[in-house]
Amino acid sequence: MAGKLKGKFAPSEIKKHVLTAISYLLPLIVASGLLIAIGNLTGGVTVASIDELDAMTVPSALTTLGGMGMGLIPAFIGGYIAYSVADRPGIAPGFLMGMIASFLNSGFLGGLIGGLLVGYIALVIETYLKVPKWAQALMPMMIVPLLSSALGGLIMFFVLGTPITMLTGALTNFITGLDQSQKALYGFIIGWIGCLDYGGAISKVPNLICDGLMADGIYGPEGIKVLAAMVPPIGVTLGWLLSKAINKPIFKYSEEENIKVAFPMGICMISEGVIPIAMNDLIRTVICTSIGCGVCGAISFSAGVESMVPSGGVFVIPAMTNPLMAVVALLVGSCVTAVLLVLIKKRLTPEQVDDLGMAEDDTEEEIDLSGFSLS
Amino acid sequence: MKLVGVCACTSGIAHTYMAKEKLVKAAQALGHEIHVETQGTIGVEDPLTPEEIAEADAVILAVDIKVEKGRFEGKPTLEIPTSLVVKAPKQVIQKVAESIGK
Repeated sequence: MAGKLKGKFAPSEIKKHVLTAISYLLPLIVASGLLIAIGNLTGGVTVASIDELDAMTVPSALTTLGGMGMGLIPAFIGGYIAYSVADRPGIAPGFLMGMIASFLNSGFLGGLIGGLLVGYIALVIETYLKVPKWAQALMPMMIVPLLSSALGGLIMFFVLGTPITMLTGALTNFITGLDQSQKALYGFIIGWIGCLDYGGAISKVPNLICDGLMADGIYGPEGIKVLAAMVPPIGVTLGWLLSKAINKPIFKYSEEENIKVAFPMGICMISEGVIPIAMNDLIRTVICTSIGCGVCGAISFSAGVESMVPSGGVFVIPAMTNPLMAVVALLVGSCVTAVLLVLIKKRLTPEQVDDLGMAEDDTEEEIDLSGFSLS
Repeated sequence: MKLVGVCACTSGIAHTYMAKEKLVKAAQALGHEIHVETQGTIGVEDPLTPEEIAEADAVILAVDIKVEKGRFEGKPTLEIPTSLVVKAPKQVIQKVAESIGK
């Protein structure tokens, strides 16, 4: 594809489309997950059809509504990916591809592939289809949505449907079929990678997979994601307290200030607060936090902790399956991080500790900006 | 030079605001004027006014997700992930300054 669409198919572009969809999706999953959790905790059940409406109670209403929200996930993904690719005309076809994904039981993955597919179809039509002037108003309203839905829909049903469904099925079977020790291993890996760069580009990948599995009804990995994301900030805080207790200074004053901010952010599941602390001693800190996250993930996954809520930090632990083990996983992981930090970080001299007199991080690491240009 | 910027990250709660803070600080340190709008999960905050956009020499989009670009039509625009802006805001601004020759 050359000419006007040059660069539109770059991996970084595709990643942006997926992230856009996740961005719109997150509030839906959080709300729906919490609705299910609150409903279930108060004794609600899913009311499957209108014939059972007499059985509707307040808890059942919450559970049922949450279930409806979860059902919207493939449509949301398809719709907002296609919106990101092709602007507003992409939304309707994207939502339709998501509905096909639900119909084919291919959930998250189907929505993702369908959204990208139909988004690019719409983009190509927008770019290359020339219509007479009188029909131009019909382009975004009728021609683009109709043509791309029809084309994308046929491809989804007749070409991609079976492989996507099989892939989803295989993935689901693989995860549900893991035994205890395998679960510990995969839990460690998911937790380890998921915290490697504190919510940055690398962590997005396993987190995305966890979100996807959750959309398909597998909640264990999501539990790892939620718990492990809190290990770095809590672990660093514990490490700081421990270093005070044994009188081995390992953090500077400015880092202590950062820890005081990172902790409250951390219990809300925002691990980014650790970044300014990690930056000063990157390799050691990353080793300590990622191992802690891995341990947390291994305990959580093998103990069968599940989370139906993708974010919210400590506040969603009561809504998890097996909340007690969730707390254990979180604490053990954090303590591992704390102890490792105190062990392998270098003891600082009093002069090094008192860094508040210096100008605030004025030096920047050299980065390569040659890949970016103004347009 | 005068700059306008938009920050938006995936979850819309952390990187968005870190990028804004870094951009504003770096611009001040380098002697440029900048207005930054954030598009977090909460919605648009500190929206850019049409006058600010009209006066700007260039636009910095520190975004990981799609944002509407129609209002910046015709302006020199640098689109870049929030992580790079958080890491090296000054280099990003210098890059813009060099590219438009100010």
